[in-house]
Amino acid sequence: MALHLNLYHEIQKTKALKRRDPLKISLYVLGAIAIAFATYYVIQVLYMHSLVEDFNKKKADYDKLAPIAKTAKKREEELTLKVKASDALVQRLEGRFYWAPVLEQFITVVPREVQMMRLNGDLPGDGLPRCAIGIDGLSAGSDPRKVAEQLRTALADAFKTRFKKVTSTFRTLEDGTEMVMLDGKQTPTATFAIVLQLYLTDSAPEQAPTRKKR
Amino acid sequence: MKLGKEEIQKIVLGVLLFFGMVYSYFNILLGPLLAREDAFEKSIKGLGPATAIANAQIAQTKQMEAEAPKVAMIVHQVNAMIPPGSPVAWFPTRMADFFKAHGIERVTTRLNSESIDKRYTGYRKLTWGIDATRVGFVQFAGAIAALENDEPLIEITSIQIDAGREDVEMQHVLITVNNLVKQ
Repeated sequence: MALHLNLYHEIQKTKALKRRDPLKISLYVLGAIAIAFATYYVIQVLYMHSLVEDFNKKKADYDKLAPIAKTAKKREEELTLKVKASDALVQRLEGRFYWAPVLEQFITVVPREVQMMRLNGDLPGDGLPRCAIGIDGLSAGSDPRKVAEQLRTALADAFKTRFKKVTSTFRTLEDGTEMVMLDGKQTPTATFAIVLQLYLTDSAPEQAPTRKKR
Repeated sequence: MKLGKEEIQKIVLGVLLFFGMVYSYFNILLGPLLAREDAFEKSIKGLGPATAIANAQIAQTKQMEAEAPKVAMIVHQVNAMIPPGSPVAWFPTRMADFFKAHGIERVTTRLNSESIDKRYTGYRKLTWGIDATRVGFVQFAGAIAALENDEPLIEITSIQIDAGREDVEMQHVLITVNNLVKQ
């Protein structure tokens, strides 16, 4: 084998060293990173631009709507007041307590053996939709107390159909001192006072709690 | 491979430049940009519901506006039931005429009190005492039925009927009513 001498090895070595120069390679890497950063930044700037456009468009829409909505809210408040006032009027007109049917019931229920001396009806206005009626009268017959009792129960039964809850109680029931003529006979009498409570709703007032005995 | 002094200096400088560039990129360029993006995204998200609420408000008011004539009609009807002028001038006469038309003479009407109920904006409530000295129970019940039907603004709050001592067929009646009049 013939001896081969490379007289350029010095030049080739220098060239190879230049090719593998770390400074140059790191500069290339740095350049690549810089380009990547710049590209990402540009993408973000473009995205930001689109966001700004979107925001401006939506803000313009909202700025147009906001004063209209504000006026609408004010108008709604005015209308709500009017509606409330109107509802209150309707409620008053339709939610009145009608006395005529109550008086009609008295005409049908009170028997001929009873003389009503006083009828006192009142809407207490304590928040509960109810009517309190006090009836003072005179009952006559062979057993006038029984007649008064029959009137009390008859009143309760008669009003039960019309009202949610009815209570009918005696405030007083006493034998009368005078005798009255009924069907040509002198009959004894009894004086009574009945309290009739007519509730328009189921919510009757709760009884006061009784004190515990020690 | 041995690095010369000059090359080491270059590498150190390059590394410093690299860190400087990375720091500047994140803190001066990208950081504030991302923060602004975030703020804009939040603002856009916030505008969505605000716009929806505004639209809903406008729609709701439009609906109420559509119902307004009905409300105005009720108020107009109520106002039409109230005669002009001072109630003291017209109400007692009206009651006297009404009961007279139902066969009940000698009816006296007096103003008991006057109040303002907040529920009835634009109206005041007058309470009257109506006194009839001689009236039959059945006749009175008929008149009350007619009164309740003909006068929707009147509400009877109490009735007191006393049987006469001399004539048990005739009663003395006192009713308390309240009615609404314009303020």
